[in-house]
Amino acid sequence: MNRPFTQHISRTRLAFIHLLIAGVVGGSLYDIVTRQEHWPFSNYPMFARVHHSRVLTWYRLFGVTADDREVPLVEPAYLWPLDQSRLAIGLRTVYQEEGNGPRLHDAVADALRRYERRREEGRHKGPELRGMRLYSVDWDVVPYATNLDHPSSRTLLVDVARSGAH
Amino acid sequence: MSASSRWWDFWFRPTSATDLGLARLLFFGLLALFYLPYDFSGWGDVSRAFWQPLWLFDRVHLPLFSVQTLRVMQIVWKIALACAAVGLFTRASIAVVAILGTYLLGLGHNFGQPYHFDALLVLAFWILACSRAGDAWSIDAWRRRPNATAGLPLVHAEYRWPIQLILVAQSLVFFAAGVAKLWTSGSEWVVSDHLALLLQRVQYNISDADPLLSWGSFISMHPWLYHGMALSTVVVETGFPIALFSRRLRVPMVLAGMGLIIGIRALMGPTFEQFLFINLFWVPWQRVVDHLPARVRKPLAVGPLVEEPQ
Repeated sequence: MNRPFTQHISRTRLAFIHLLIAGVVGGSLYDIVTRQEHWPFSNYPMFARVHHSRVLTWYRLFGVTADDREVPLVEPAYLWPLDQSRLAIGLRTVYQEEGNGPRLHDAVADALRRYERRREEGRHKGPELRGMRLYSVDWDVVPYATNLDHPSSRTLLVDVARSGAH
Repeated sequence: MSASSRWWDFWFRPTSATDLGLARLLFFGLLALFYLPYDFSGWGDVSRAFWQPLWLFDRVHLPLFSVQTLRVMQIVWKIALACAAVGLFTRASIAVVAILGTYLLGLGHNFGQPYHFDALLVLAFWILACSRAGDAWSIDAWRRRPNATAGLPLVHAEYRWPIQLILVAQSLVFFAAGVAKLWTSGSEWVVSDHLALLLQRVQYNISDADPLLSWGSFISMHPWLYHGMALSTVVVETGFPIALFSRRLRVPMVLAGMGLIIGIRALMGPTFEQFLFINLFWVPWQRVVDHLPARVRKPLAVGPLVEEPQ
């Protein structure tokens, strides 16, 4: 077989290199064609679906302070390493799979423990919380998100109280 | 040129060891700096209620390790990244980077949803682990200096295919993103107000990080701007593989791809910074070194590290 440039590469090595090429290219093309995701391969579907509705529905955690105020938990330091995207989509998946059951309750309770532990460790300067609530929040999307603090509606999904809170 | 000749030329045309070696040094060096402050151990105590395993973790039964174990793993991984950068025990270092990196970078994607900013890095780790990336610009090469002539010549087919495969993988990432848009939404992705709405939605703290700039809202109020951006995005993503074959279009396409990544981070939030490091493999480093002034090049010319191509 004529194999330019590679006379100094053994046949075994060359076969291995070709297998690697086939694996990387084949894995990528497979996910593109089948529209699936097999990390680290993916069909990279982010932002591909067109949004028609101007209403944004998002799952958001709110902390409940001692004086019964509700504060949206959007600072990355509050619940790190969970962020606003992973957290909301993870909670939504749990809710859609199992409804308002023990798993969703556990997830929110874990977020509350995480928030308080990180606060006590000085990793953020958020207020002390006596509870945490998960809402499905709707906004009418507007430029510059000027209505961020005034959603059009909210639906309470889970309410978790901190054990030993006062 | 026949198809067969093109194949061999594309993957195996002899290339300087500097192209691969210097790209390795900078790639792993930047990654080592980038991930130095990042603490993966936080995942160790996230509730199992959030656990939605990737197929890889599911199939291979990769567990969620404890905080302590993750701490040890990340220390070893970060040391391996630094060793891979300077080229110390290069093969072993990159193998450790690939094995631990697949787990550590993949771990967060088991919680909530998979992100896409580091998958290409993992593919690059494995490609480089199978390559001879430590033959130049490495401590290993410097230590072998007396016997350097026993190694490969500094221009060889072994230095081309890893670079090409990483760039093909990157091209397929962009291509996949473009195809996904066209396949899912067709021309509506460009001609509708979708991008305007998207740029407004991300202002509501819904991404893994908030946009660096609020210009997205400004753009969303000017149809010619967001339609132009949408069209450019689809054209650049779908057409990105052209950069592999066209010398004339390579630089503009790669710069446009970088612009897309920077634009996504600045206007929409998702943290794709480390994805940019892959672009180091587009640079013909031997030519860069050749163009350095002699007074700069001379101190660098230690043994085989920057030897001229044969």
